[in-house]
Amino acid sequence: MPPPAATGVKPMRNPLSPASLLEGASESGYVRSLMAGTVGVLALLGVSGLAFPDSVAGDLAGIVFSTSTATSTARLAAPIVLAGLGGIFAEKSGVINIGLEGLLIISAFVSVYAASVVGVGNAVLGVPALAIAFLAGIAASTFLSAVFAVVCIEFKADQIIAGLAVWLIALGLAPFLSTVFFGGVNTPNLGVSVGWQYSATMVVFATAGSWWLLNKTAFGKHLRAAGENPKALDTVGVSVSKVRYAGVLLSGVLSGVGGSALALSIGQFVGSGETMVQGKGFIAIVAYLFGNYNPLGTLGAGALFAGLDAIQIRLQQLGYAIPDTLVQTIPYVVVIVVLTLVGRTQIPEAAGEHYETEE
Amino acid sequence: MSDSAPDGDRTESLLARVVAPFVDRSVAERLVISVAAILLSIVVGFALVLVSGRIAQCSTAAWTMPLTGIGFCYDPIEVYVVLFNGALGYPFAVGDPGLFNPAWTPFNLSFGLTLSETTLLIFTGLSVAVAFRAGLFNIGTQGQLVVGALSTALSVLALAPLLPAGPVAGAVLIVVGTAAGAVGGGLWGAIPGALKAYADANEVITTIMLNFVAANVAYVLVLEVFRAEGSSVVATRYVPEYAQFPSVLFPPSTDFALLALAGGIAFIGALYYFVEHTSLGYDLRTSGVQAAAAEYGGVNAKLTTVRAMTLSGALGGIGGAVWVLMSEGRWMASIPDLGFDGITVSILAGNNPIGVLPAAFLFGVLKGGALEIGFRTDVPTELVAVLRGLIILFVAMPEFFRMIGRYTGVGGTAGGPGGAASAESDASAGGDGGEADA
Repeated sequence: MPPPAATGVKPMRNPLSPASLLEGASESGYVRSLMAGTVGVLALLGVSGLAFPDSVAGDLAGIVFSTSTATSTARLAAPIVLAGLGGIFAEKSGVINIGLEGLLIISAFVSVYAASVVGVGNAVLGVPALAIAFLAGIAASTFLSAVFAVVCIEFKADQIIAGLAVWLIALGLAPFLSTVFFGGVNTPNLGVSVGWQYSATMVVFATAGSWWLLNKTAFGKHLRAAGENPKALDTVGVSVSKVRYAGVLLSGVLSGVGGSALALSIGQFVGSGETMVQGKGFIAIVAYLFGNYNPLGTLGAGALFAGLDAIQIRLQQLGYAIPDTLVQTIPYVVVIVVLTLVGRTQIPEAAGEHYETEE
Repeated sequence: MSDSAPDGDRTESLLARVVAPFVDRSVAERLVISVAAILLSIVVGFALVLVSGRIAQCSTAAWTMPLTGIGFCYDPIEVYVVLFNGALGYPFAVGDPGLFNPAWTPFNLSFGLTLSETTLLIFTGLSVAVAFRAGLFNIGTQGQLVVGALSTALSVLALAPLLPAGPVAGAVLIVVGTAAGAVGGGLWGAIPGALKAYADANEVITTIMLNFVAANVAYVLVLEVFRAEGSSVVATRYVPEYAQFPSVLFPPSTDFALLALAGGIAFIGALYYFVEHTSLGYDLRTSGVQAAAAEYGGVNAKLTTVRAMTLSGALGGIGGAVWVLMSEGRWMASIPDLGFDGITVSILAGNNPIGVLPAAFLFGVLKGGALEIGFRTDVPTELVAVLRGLIILFVAMPEFFRMIGRYTGVGGTAGGPGGAASAESDASAGGDGGEADA
C-alpha cells in the first residue's frame, strides 16, 4: 500500500515534456472544431441566402458576404485581436493583464496626438507622420504596461486590481490630456485614415508571429513555464521575473499597435463616455479565452466579435427597425454567452500568483 | 485582543469587539497604506498638472515656479486648494487675514453637493465591498445601479397616481421605490453570480459586459417606451416632488438629503454587523478567504457566490434608487460613474464596511471639488478621474509602502508588539493628516 501522502501529492508537471505537447495538439483540435463550426454557420447562411434571396436570410447573407462588411470587420478586429494576442503573452507568463482596455485607450489617444503634432503629410527624418503616430502609440502603451509590470512583479500587487487601475488611469488620463491639448475630450479629426488593408496585414503578421514565438522558440517555452511551473523554470536558471516582464511588455507593444490602428483607422480619438475603445480590451480577453490561448483561435474569435459589430452597423444602414443601441449590445451578450460556455479554460497554473525567487 | 476574554463581563467583551477592528495590526497597516496612497496620488497629480500646464497654451502664466522663473498655465497648488477647500464651501479664507472664513456655514451649496456624492458613493462602495469580502470582483455595480435606478423610477411613476399626493404617499413611494431599486439591482447582480457559480464564467468580464448591456438596454427601453413627452434628453418623467428625499437644512439645489445620508450610515452599520457577526456573513468571508476550506466546513460555496452577488447588486440598486429619488428626480441616460468610483471607495476602505464612510467622504470631496475646479480654474476636471485610477494603483501595491517603510525605518515589519505599536501611531498620525487635507 502506498503511503497516503504519495496519493495526495500532485505529480510535478514539466511543461516541456511530450505530455504537454500532446495537450497542445488537443488544443489545436479544439481550435479546429471552432473553425469548422464557424465555416459551417457561414455556409448555411450562404446557402439559405441563395435559396431565399428576398428573406431576412438573403439580406443577412448579402451583408455577411459583402466587401464593406469585410473591410469594417478588418478595421474593428485589429484592436481586439492585437490586444488579445498581447493578453496571451502576459497571461501565459503568469500575469493576468486585465488592463488591456487601458493600453488600447492610451495608445489610441497618443497616436492621434503624435500625428497632429507632426502634422499629417509631414515627415521626421524621413519617417512619415502616420508611422510616427504608430510608434508613439506603441511607446505609450508599452510604458503603461511597464508600470503595470513593475507594480505586479516588483511590488507584488494584486494583478486584477492593478489591471483595473491601469484601465481607470487611462480612462481618466486620455480625456484629460485631450482637453489639455485640444480643448475637448474628443480630438479634432486628422482628415486622414489608415486603410483596412494595413490593419488586416498587421493582424495577420502579429498572429503568425505570435504563434511562432509561442510554439517554436525557447522564449515561448520559458513563457509557458513561467506561467505553469515557475519553480521549474527557476531551477533551470532562467529568471522568472525577466520572462514575466517580457510577457507583459509584449502585451503593451501589441495593444499599442491595436489601439493606434483603431484610432488612426478613423483619424480621431473619441474620449467621451467609455472612450472609442468601448470595452474592446475586455472583449479581447474573452477572445483569447475563447481561442484557448492559441493565437489562431484568438484571430478567429476576434474576427467573429468584430464581424458581429460590422454586421450590426450594416443592419442599421439597411433600415431594419431595431434600435441601433440594442443591436450594439449583441457583441457584449455574445461575449457573456461564450464565456459561460467555455468558462473552464485552461488558465495557466501559476497565473495571478506572485513568484518568490529562492536565493 | 477580541478573543482574549472568553468569559469576561459583557460590556468589556462588547467594547473589545467594537474596538478590535481599529487596533488590529492589519487594519492599522491598511489605514497607513490608504492614506499614503492618497498622498502619493496627490503628488503624482501635482506633477501631472505641472507638466500639462507647461505644454498647454495660454496667454498668461497662472503660476511661475520659484527660482527658475518658468511659467506654467495651471497652478497646481491652486488646483488642490480649490479642490479641497471648494468641496467644503470655502471654510478656509485663503489669502485673506484670518484662517477661517467667517461667512461660512456647513449648510452651503458646495458642501451639500459633496455630501450628496458621499451618500451615493456609500451605497456603491458597500456594494463592491460586500462582493470583495466573498472573494468576488463586482465591477458591475455601475450596471446594477443603472438597472436599479430604472426600476425605482418606473415603479414610483407607476404607483404615484394610485395614491393621494402628500407626505404619507411620499414615504410609501420612497420605501417602495428603494425596494424596487434593490430588487432590480439584485436580480442584475444575481446573473453574474449564477454564471460564476454554475458555469465558472469569470465575474470580472461578465460584470463589465453586463455594464454595457444594462446601459444600452435601459437606454433603449426609455427611448422607445418610457421617454417623457417633449424631453430633449433620453429620460423618464420626473417623479412627484413629494416622493423625493426632502432637502432639510441644505439648499434644495444641492440635491442632498440628510435622511438619505443617515440611511447610508445605517446600511454601513447593518452591513458591518452582517459581515462580521452573522453566520451568513461568516460563510461569505470564509468563501472569500479560502473557498476550498469553506466547502469542507459545510458552506455551500455556489449558493454563497450567488447570494453575495445578489446582495452586492441590491446595494448598487439602492444606490441607483437614491440617485433617482435624491439627486435627479428621474432616470436619465447620462448616469455618472458612481459604480466605478465605488470600486475605488471599497479598495481604499480595505473592503471594510466601516472604512467605506471615510473613503466615500474623501471621494465625495474629490467629486464635489472637481465641480469647483471646473468653475474656477482652466484645469480639466478629468484630473479627478486620473486621481481615482492612481489611488487604486497605489493601494494595490502595499509592498511598495512596506519597502519604503523598511528603508526609512517607519512602521516596522517585524510583527512584534513594537512594530504593531509604531504602525498604529503612524495610522493615527496619517489619519489626522487626512482629516486636515479634507
